Amino acid sequence: MAERSFKHEIDLLRLGEGDTFRGEGILAVTKALLQSGVSYVGGYQGAPVSHLMDVLVDAEDLLAELGIHIEACTNEAAAAAMLGASIAYPIRGAVTWKSVVGTNVASDALSNLTSPGVIGGAMIIIGEDYGDGASVIQERSHAFAMKSSIWLLDPRPHLPSIVRMVEKGFELSEASHSPVMLDLRIKACHVTGEFATSDNRKAAISRLAPMGTPAPFDYAKLSHPPSTFAHEIAKVEERMPAARAFIAQHHLNELFPGDLAQIGIVVQGGLYNSLLRALMRLDLADALGNARIPIFCLNVTYPLVPEELTAFCATKRAVLMVEEGTPDYIEQALGQILRKADLQTGLFGKGCLPQAGEYTSDVLVEGLAAFLEQVRPAGLDADAARRFADTLSRQRRDAAALLDETLPGRQPGFCTGCPERPVFAALKLAQREVGPTHISADIGCHSFATLPPFNMGNSILGFGMSLASSAAVSSNLGKRPVSIMGDGGFWHNGVITGVAGTLFNRGDGVLVILQNGYTSATGQQFMPSSVAEGRRAENPVSIEATLKVLGVKWLKTVRSYSVGTMKKALTEAMTSAEKGLKVIIADGECQLARQRRVKSEDAATLKAGRRLVRVRYGVDDEVCSGDHSCIRLSGCPSLTIKPNPDPLRDDPVAAVIQSCVGCGLCGEVAHAAVLCPSFWRAEIIQNPNRFDRWLDGWRRKAIGWLQAEVAS
Amino acid sequence: MSATRPISIVIAAMGGEGGGVLTDWLVQAATAEGLAVQSTSVPGVAQRTGATTYYIEIYPVPVAQLGGARPVLALAPSVGDVNLVVATELMEAARTVTRGLSDRERTQLIASTHRVYAIAEKAAMGDGRADSATLLRVIEAGTKTRLLFDMEQAAKTAGCVVNAVLLGAIAGSGILPIAPETFEAGIRASAKAVESNLRGFATGLAAARGTVPVHLQPAHKRPQPDTAPTLALIARAYAELPEPARESAAEGVKRLTRYQDLRYATLYLERLAPIASAERDAGGSGALTRVVARHLAVRMSFEDVIRVAQLKTDPARFARIRAEIGAAPGQPVVVRDFLKPGIDELCSLLPPLLARPILALARRRGWTETAYWGREVASSGILGFAGLRLMARLKGWRRHGHRFNEEQKGIEHWLASVTRAIALSPLLALEVAECARLIKGYGETWRRGEANYRRIDAALVTPALAGQWPAAFALDAIASARAAALADPEGQGLDRTLAEIAHKLPSP
Repeated sequence: MAERSFKHEIDLLRLGEGDTFRGEGILAVTKALLQSGVSYVGGYQGAPVSHLMDVLVDAEDLLAELGIHIEACTNEAAAAAMLGASIAYPIRGAVTWKSVVGTNVASDALSNLTSPGVIGGAMIIIGEDYGDGASVIQERSHAFAMKSSIWLLDPRPHLPSIVRMVEKGFELSEASHSPVMLDLRIKACHVTGEFATSDNRKAAISRLAPMGTPAPFDYAKLSHPPSTFAHEIAKVEERMPAARAFIAQHHLNELFPGDLAQIGIVVQGGLYNSLLRALMRLDLADALGNARIPIFCLNVTYPLVPEELTAFCATKRAVLMVEEGTPDYIEQALGQILRKADLQTGLFGKGCLPQAGEYTSDVLVEGLAAFLEQVRPAGLDADAARRFADTLSRQRRDAAALLDETLPGRQPGFCTGCPERPVFAALKLAQREVGPTHISADIGCHSFATLPPFNMGNSILGFGMSLASSAAVSSNLGKRPVSIMGDGGFWHNGVITGVAGTLFNRGDGVLVILQNGYTSATGQQFMPSSVAEGRRAENPVSIEATLKVLGVKWLKTVRSYSVGTMKKALTEAMTSAEKGLKVIIADGECQLARQRRVKSEDAATLKAGRRLVRVRYGVDDEVCSGDHSCIRLSGCPSLTIKPNPDPLRDDPVAAVIQSCVGCGLCGEVAHAAVLCPSFWRAEIIQNPNRFDRWLDGWRRKAIGWLQAEVAS
Repeated sequence: MSATRPISIVIAAMGGEGGGVLTDWLVQAATAEGLAVQSTSVPGVAQRTGATTYYIEIYPVPVAQLGGARPVLALAPSVGDVNLVVATELMEAARTVTRGLSDRERTQLIASTHRVYAIAEKAAMGDGRADSATLLRVIEAGTKTRLLFDMEQAAKTAGCVVNAVLLGAIAGSGILPIAPETFEAGIRASAKAVESNLRGFATGLAAARGTVPVHLQPAHKRPQPDTAPTLALIARAYAELPEPARESAAEGVKRLTRYQDLRYATLYLERLAPIASAERDAGGSGALTRVVARHLAVRMSFEDVIRVAQLKTDPARFARIRAEIGAAPGQPVVVRDFLKPGIDELCSLLPPLLARPILALARRRGWTETAYWGREVASSGILGFAGLRLMARLKGWRRHGHRFNEEQKGIEHWLASVTRAIALSPLLALEVAECARLIKGYGETWRRGEANYRRIDAALVTPALAGQWPAAFALDAIASARAAALADPEGQGLDRTLAEIAHKLPSP
């Protein structure tokens, strides 16, 4: 992590027996891992689980004390493969990534892991990036659990429940020889709360107490035929029954009673709080968790324990299945369980509730009203529920109608001074010369170029996939496509799937690699080519050298902020008669990381009384004509508008605000695009030396004379 | 079942505004008071822009009195169910209301009235700003009570971030069962920028208790100073022109005197007089003359290198820059300007006879887009400043230049169109006059605006003035085309609009 301190978080990880942890969900999971005696942890960063890795990577001392091995994996496949250590050795390990995308990347290793199964507890903590605030494809991780026989834990978003499920999850994994997944939705990762901590546990086997001898050769532990046939049978005949027995025995799922006993609700643990809130708004529950309708809360959503569900449903006329996302795997399974048990309990679910989309408390109010209207249980006014639900939709409609038009959106964009912005400004300018180009976008901060003011990108096919995804475009378009890739995506897999693949197939295209030194979108983590002076990147792997070794002939490294040079390089790459892959490395350190470093360095320089030049850009508000071309080519948060000072004009003029970090893009763009002469650059000399003062004195005097001559 | 409901708070912020810290302060204060509290956020990616929402629930009965029970708190706000909306900026406050989260009977709102413009507002070619009055009306209509003032200004005065002011306002609102002292203790405990945060907190607290800081926005308009030689001309403007046009005309006189000379300012008044009298004859109030007075002054003071040099060497400019960047008195500051004159700029100063063939050749060869003399000028340096000064002194030469010649022709044509339009309809004349707004800027911006103006003039103004169309149709057509020309720089909006108008044309 770049220059960011996690001291407070690390202190929380050191809490012991009888202490109270107060903090975020994902950090509670991290603490629970240490309480569970893990021997190794790893993962690949991504919202909403980046924090888990960030804190652990920074907690070197603590991990050393506990003998825990940590690995900042280069992608999720590597992280999943790491769990292979628990196949042959009785050691606990946990890895983490963002799902569903990370699980996709990891799935080959996951299949090979779950086939032989594990003897040490293996846990995958997945940040389920679903619903409001999600940044990836809306698919369910549930499918991976089912197909690979991974048990899926979906705890209530309540810190003590989450911590318990981590601890029990390892036991479940060991009892059933299968890995488990702990599924945390975005808001559950960021939810704050408290739980009573226990001491961190040192594992019996770890780097502090290594085994010394490797496991004996055992063909049965290899995911290779004929072992794989035996594995398939073991999954259903041994591991699944063992898992179900453990889940039932330890009451991992919870039953909450209610007086309306003829109906019931089965809910995924992660949705429990939203469901309770919906019931409270319908006067069917209070804020302390007392509900009138009995609830069966699935803290384990795969596998289901048929006996538990038939016991819950047997005496009920109807149950509502509250299951988010599509397809409705749990509802289908529940239907089958009821059918096989020959129970006549009515099953409601999708239909009352929408097929797709996040189940907020508002959505659940509507779904509950639909359920109650159809079932009409005794002792409850179903029409009152309908009336309340209708009031909500009316209220939402009325609120939206307060404005004639929707307000301009506030999408994320590049940070102030971001080195990626000038590259897209250059690409926009280059396209003015060579015409529109197919742009293959990728995952990372640079995907913000798909938003205003750049609006660029024809496809996004996954992290590091931009170049690979343009393989069939070039020949069918008859024009050279441009692929954008971050250095994070390059190491995640782009170097193989994209660069090696294109060279091998003699592809023709342009690849722009945005080298900012970190995987920035996930919080500036280090990666193989990070050059920051830190613990992790003492021997950075050079992207440029790697490309040369691979055989890239046309290769240019351009400073990101040099818009003119970049535009020329892009134009040349797009139009050159020479066939083959052309790579431009746009080099510029992530400004967010840089500012963190520079700010403290500058403060030290100033304090020591040494000379320091601070740079700020600005706009002459009398010269600016209020066309805002500069903003359309930049979108910098520090470049904004203000009222026109000219009494004869109304259009607002451009203005640079205090947060400017002096990256110089406005000046570069004004120059490269031949915009207007409004921009100025000011160098403020702090702690000036004698020469600075002498020169400044002369300049002021001379300019004073010249101005006096004007006035006369 | 217990009847007590949690207090729910939505904080609408933007990345980097301290919404996370504000949330932490609230959570810590509630914990300190022995209350159950839960917060969530959707911070998304690491970048510092984009809307970020925080959500907090506090159960108002202390945990100790719950007999072992614990509240089940929600992770997201629900429609009409929020007790307190906190917004760091006006549009985000209005957005929260239009999402239906607030309720007229229940929701109290605390927000800063300052604006942080969204990218669509900033990138518009003209004025794309959302109307603050509309936003305030929405907030008024959708909430029970409101505490609104410019908290950014208050934060600036206190030397803190807007979140401390908001915290004070929340503490003072009495919505939460938490004593203001508990919040203050939390600020002290954080041990970061304690003094300035406490100052901001105090301002917010006082505002919630009725002492809202009054911040008078300084007038943003900067009129030209009166100079002795212009007084007679200004008096003449007042005598000849209707009241609504006088102030603009006086400003025009001062501007053009500085831009060129008194003779040029006199020409300005001579051009305005016939418009004023034609409007008077048509029974107009002077509104048209006012619009023409403004646009005419701007058009006559077209931007060329001489004008830029004049503005860049204005003594007031360096003072403005020093103030903007916060330079201390006596602190050395070096200012550099980005200038990139091209063939157009060069030819604008050559005599028409010489300029025309060069420009024609340059356009044929595409040089106007590619041949530039780009340089950074150290305008605070002696040589840089002297160079710019020299350029500014060329203004006498301007009259002989090609650009001056062309601009005067364009202006005369536009004025003639306005005059002819008055006879048809003063409202139509207003639309024709407003088209001058399209011509602005430098280089490509100017070429695009000028080309759009010509297209509208040829396709709409000319036939309209020939009396071929009903006045209402012409008026609407010109207004929509002007809006379309400012919709996108690629001109697709204008293409579409002109095609639509052609399609709807009344059959002859």
